[in-house]
Amino acid sequence: MTVRALVIDDSRAMRRIVTGTLEGFGYETRQAGNGQEALDVLREGWLPDLCTIDWNMPVMDGLQFVNAVRANPAWRTLTLMMVTSESEHGQIVRALAAGAHEYVIKPFTADAIRDKLALLGLLPQEASL
Amino acid sequence: MTHPTDTGVRRRASDRPPALADLLGEATVLEITEQAWTALVGEDEVLVPLPAPLPAVTRSSWVEIVGPWTGTVVLTCGADTAVELTGALLREHAPAVLEDEDVDDALGELANVVGGNVKAVLPGPSVLGLPEVGTTPPAGREANTCRVAVLWRGQPLTVSVQSPAV
Repeated sequence: MTVRALVIDDSRAMRRIVTGTLEGFGYETRQAGNGQEALDVLREGWLPDLCTIDWNMPVMDGLQFVNAVRANPAWRTLTLMMVTSESEHGQIVRALAAGAHEYVIKPFTADAIRDKLALLGLLPQEASL
Repeated sequence: MTHPTDTGVRRRASDRPPALADLLGEATVLEITEQAWTALVGEDEVLVPLPAPLPAVTRSSWVEIVGPWTGTVVLTCGADTAVELTGALLREHAPAVLEDEDVDDALGELANVVGGNVKAVLPGPSVLGLPEVGTTPPAGREANTCRVAVLWRGQPLTVSVQSPAV
């Protein structure tokens, strides 16, 4: 079974790194440069299992994206994981309260992403070996 | 729930902003930068805390922090170092040819990660701005700046946490 991820970050470098990490775990990926672009991908009908979401982005930030996803019942199965340099305790609480499932603070390692995916039950079997 | 570092003390608008030296020191900035390097640039990428003159042509990236303490976190290195840094950061994910946009993006993301973690040790709540990149970062007040100078692969770079020049 293919697992899909939408990687949302305004940094091309970070999108490449996160995408490469997830593809290494067996994910099929797409990318978006901000929350609005990500909503456009979802509205196209490309529904991922996982969204990785940066917080600070132009046009639509990560928290606005989480709120938009959680307001749409058709997208309630999406797993939302913040991947951000926002590490203030209050910000983490806000994101989780808004409906994010997990929170990864940049800088991160591939192992940290793997551990979070395993917790979420979203680590393809071949990547967990 | 309160933040572990929240002392409960609140500032009034008439209060003077806290002095940077009372909030963080070079050791903290160096530790944050080293963590960013290890995770993003590479596990074996060592930063040697030795000051050295920057080359004539430099590239800087910076992010603004606005809150009880307001200022900027600036990363500066030689233009050639910025290109090498981008290649190291992207590793096997790097495009065949690095464009200026790739370099600016990578340098901006490094400032974003360092800045975000600097923000976390400052009094909050604060807002982190989007990263900017250029040759001339915002001027800081020298007397209220915490600067770390390091060598990466023998090349100098600096990370400064600076209050705005008035």
